[in-house]
Amino acid sequence: MKKQRYRLDTKKGIRSVLYSITAIIATACLVIFLNIVFMGIGLSEYVRKTPDYVNVTWLEVTDQGYELNEDVRAKMDKNDVWAMLLNEEGQVIWEYRKPEELADSYSRADITRMSKWYLQGYPVYLRIWEDKIIVTGYPKDTLWKYNIEFSLPWIDFIKRVWVYFFLINFIWIIGLTFLFTRKWKEQREKARIEWIAGISHDIRTPLSMVMGYADTLEHDDNLSGEERQQAAVIKHQSIIMKELVEDLNLTSRLEYSMQALRKEEVRPAAVLREVAASFLNDVQEGQLQIALEIEETAEDIMIKADRRLLVRAFRNLTNNSMQHGGQADAVTIQIHMQRDKSRCIIRFEDNGMGYSEEVLRQLLNRRKKDAAQNIRGLGIVQKIIIAHGGKISFGNCQDGGSFCLIKFRSRIRL
Amino acid sequence: MNLYDYKILLVDDEPDLRNMVKGFLQKAGFYKIVTAACCEEAKEIFHREAPGLILLDVMLPDGDGFSLLQRIREESEVPVIFLSARDEDENRLHGLGLGADDYITKPFLAQELILRVTAVLKRVYRVHDMQENRIIMLGGCKVDLSSGVVYRGDTEVTLTAKEYAIIQKLSENRGRIVTIDTLCETVWQEGNYGYENTLIVHIRRLREKIEEDPSHPKHLLTVRGLGYKLV
Repeated sequence: MKKQRYRLDTKKGIRSVLYSITAIIATACLVIFLNIVFMGIGLSEYVRKTPDYVNVTWLEVTDQGYELNEDVRAKMDKNDVWAMLLNEEGQVIWEYRKPEELADSYSRADITRMSKWYLQGYPVYLRIWEDKIIVTGYPKDTLWKYNIEFSLPWIDFIKRVWVYFFLINFIWIIGLTFLFTRKWKEQREKARIEWIAGISHDIRTPLSMVMGYADTLEHDDNLSGEERQQAAVIKHQSIIMKELVEDLNLTSRLEYSMQALRKEEVRPAAVLREVAASFLNDVQEGQLQIALEIEETAEDIMIKADRRLLVRAFRNLTNNSMQHGGQADAVTIQIHMQRDKSRCIIRFEDNGMGYSEEVLRQLLNRRKKDAAQNIRGLGIVQKIIIAHGGKISFGNCQDGGSFCLIKFRSRIRL
Repeated sequence: MNLYDYKILLVDDEPDLRNMVKGFLQKAGFYKIVTAACCEEAKEIFHREAPGLILLDVMLPDGDGFSLLQRIREESEVPVIFLSARDEDENRLHGLGLGADDYITKPFLAQELILRVTAVLKRVYRVHDMQENRIIMLGGCKVDLSSGVVYRGDTEVTLTAKEYAIIQKLSENRGRIVTIDTLCETVWQEGNYGYENTLIVHIRRLREKIEEDPSHPKHLLTVRGLGYKLV
């Protein structure tokens, strides 16, 4: 018998991780780029502040002595800059806007001191012009001056390791961004889970009454057969609602790995028997046939699993065969050990109408957006199996009906 | 004391739900029912009425049922069943861990509620439902579960302990399939694994005692691959 097989696309998950990593790296690059740009702007601002026009070409020697170039004068006025010219003996031979408090003559010591720092609090710049010194000064408290010295070996060292420094910074930024993004995402997921848990909690109490009274009416002998039938429908539908609410809650918890799995050693053969028996007990005679095919050796298969969730998954699979367009009246369940004895394979097969293309497409595509209503029962099966580290695939048999293949890591009980 | 003579205290903040559950219990035969809407009221009624069983909602307006249970456990061992709108396993286990006797998740059916209430009462007070039939009729054969004796015509056969456990489990679920695993668990309790073949032997002996034709059983039926069923 040839089967069409549909397998879950795990590559999609990897791809989404790659996407987010790329996004993070891109963000980090952008942050670094912006840093450099801002630093550049800051530096250029500083450079602009230095009196670039303070050079020797602006003084012209005339008959009367020295004359200031007109452009430069305007600039100096605008920036509140003053200037003076010292001869070899340190005497002021020309000045422009020089503050009154400053002396007219300077010793070598004075000149040495002011060449690096301030002249009585005025930030000044010294230039040599021929054998004279031009002193250009800003008003008090307008500039901060600092002398920087580096030892040459240190500069060499920096030259060698700056790439690594850059890398370390880069990694830091990536790491921080990543942490923040994850935390933010976690919070959002948690809020969503709590929201869903809240809804399912709030629905339960009113649903109790719908279900309870519908049940009472169904068994009320004073009502007509038709009325009781209607009550039975209400009850049946409210049971479906109850299951949907449970599924919804469990789905959201499994989706974000918030459901703690209570793993214990479970014999899948026993779980399958339990599920099959409870179905056969509840359906009407002849409505459903379940053939459980357990090989002798398969009795000893043990897996580590949350029993309750496993029962739920197997129930949903069987239920899905009967309902939701499956309309099967015979379900075959097989369990056997894979040949290499590392995994067990559980196979559900029915003689119903099979899955529609649409359902199969949705089962393959696990993205949340597409988690449509008509696969909810199967979607949760998928999530339960995957949460247990198992593999699951769905498909249609060639001669009608659908199948589901589940693989679990397992061991043989000795 | 009859099972239905025990007083039941129902604590839930939703009046409609209280009425409904009260109705269920009355219909089932319980006639002493008191209700409370919050922890404070529950404590007061608990001291005044000394109920035989408490049905306790987990979410109450002035506190949660878990802490109320802890308070009650300090002074009494009265059986408590939680009625909760939360189905998370942690909640269930938390409740049972605190010493609750059962945990029912909303929504529930009347049948389920009554079954659990009676089961807890029976277990805790070791009384038997007076209406419960301790005698099973299987065609021309009568099994008395209170003495473990099978009567067929004039002959009397006594059941062994294991046969008795098997038939009791099957009769509790009469008409329903009981899996091999459940039967093994009932008979051998811990470490029930690997007794399937022994179970077959016990079933055969049991059939010899209750069936007219043990090779063509009419009452104790085999459901192939799953278990057994008593019809």
